[in-house]
Amino acid sequence: MSIVTGYSFAFWVEILFLVAVIVMIRRARGGMKIPEIYKVAGLEAMDEAIGRCTEMGKPVHFSPGIGDLQNAQTLAAMSILGYVAKQCARYDTDLIATNRNVIVYPLSEEIVKQSFAEVGKLDNFKPDNVRWISDDQFAYATGVTGIMFREKPAANILVGAFWAESLIFAEVGSIAGAIQISGTANTHQIPFFVAACDYCLIGEELYAASAYLSKEPVLLASLVAQDWGKMVGVVLIVVGTVMASVGSNALGTLLSK
Amino acid sequence: MKKELPVAITLILAILYVLANYFTGVAFLDTAKNLLDRWYLIVAAWAVLVGSINLTQIHGRRISGKREGWIFSVWLLICLYGMMFFGIFVAKNASHPGWTFMYNQLIAPMNATVYSTIVFYIGSAAYRAFRVRSPEASVLLVTALIMMLGRVPLGRMLLGGHPALSQMADWILNVPNSAGMRGIQIGACLGGVATALRIALGIERGHLGGTGE
Repeated sequence: MSIVTGYSFAFWVEILFLVAVIVMIRRARGGMKIPEIYKVAGLEAMDEAIGRCTEMGKPVHFSPGIGDLQNAQTLAAMSILGYVAKQCARYDTDLIATNRNVIVYPLSEEIVKQSFAEVGKLDNFKPDNVRWISDDQFAYATGVTGIMFREKPAANILVGAFWAESLIFAEVGSIAGAIQISGTANTHQIPFFVAACDYCLIGEELYAASAYLSKEPVLLASLVAQDWGKMVGVVLIVVGTVMASVGSNALGTLLSK
Repeated sequence: MKKELPVAITLILAILYVLANYFTGVAFLDTAKNLLDRWYLIVAAWAVLVGSINLTQIHGRRISGKREGWIFSVWLLICLYGMMFFGIFVAKNASHPGWTFMYNQLIAPMNATVYSTIVFYIGSAAYRAFRVRSPEASVLLVTALIMMLGRVPLGRMLLGGHPALSQMADWILNVPNSAGMRGIQIGACLGGVATALRIALGIERGHLGGTGE
């Protein structure tokens, strides 16, 4: 048994990261103070967007992107869906959750149903509002476009893994007059969301959303470990830049082991 | 128990999957990974049935209630089941001429049509984003102008054949843009790993239904 060539460094970094996450979680469970997390405008606006729908009597549209369940962005989107569904249930606001992936669809339905049940409003859950549109990327985009024009949601929440359809969703939402909150870790789609949406969760902010929205110390603690990881990354970049500038490739060799 | 069992299964399978990706030469891990991949495909195939039932229910109700646009629901169901029955009972394989005709002459052009509409959305999004309302929007506008002029012959023509705009565009793309993108990617990768760990350790259970409150 041996580690796959080129994966050694990544393996040990992941182990260290796992240890850091566990240490922070134990600290949080032990009641130790967790450093404050900076405010994320897009997540702060989530309640405002749902409130706007409630006041206007219009639905919220939620898309978890087009990634499958093997994509961490989709799992992060599912956690946000739980929060959005719960808020919608509390304020008797319709939530239209559209899906492209057939495996994500039953999960979305279960999450929305469970969220309505948790606030004691299971009777208000409408199965027709959790929809599987199509497994085809652009057929899904067309379906969402139709929903945006026909049902005119007052909030358009697009969080998860998006590709070429991102701008279609965001522009159609803008034309429909919806307040738009987007978020993705797909770097090539971030510029589209930044340009077309009111708020955008950039990269890691998407993964931090569930911890941020739940405000659970244990979940917030894992964000601190995430920040430690970033600091290590910055140190490696600086050291690597200096070493490469003096003609040494030792760090590069170590990273590729 | 409803939540503990899925968390326990997730943890065991996550450990197996991670080890199978990092270690080589362990037959058991390879077998387990291949098996899990096959299970995923089987679940996905069954999920198509669940999705189709959902579509049929939604559009069936729309048709029976004669709601606005119900005729489009009829068309959707005809296309859905028409293609399904043709594939299962007539074509039986993906190389059947009728099947390839439907894909090449119907699905591919329709996809290309929707894809091509993005150009208009880019235009309208750019118009809103580039309106100079703040210092940030000004920077965006100037950068976009350099990028656009640096990528078309007009930019070089305006400078009497000098490639300054093209060089500036390359620099913007390769230096500040790459640096920013890589920064976001590093953060996103760590976020992805942290999310995976939270889920594997059962700390984050949002995907199991509700918010776990």
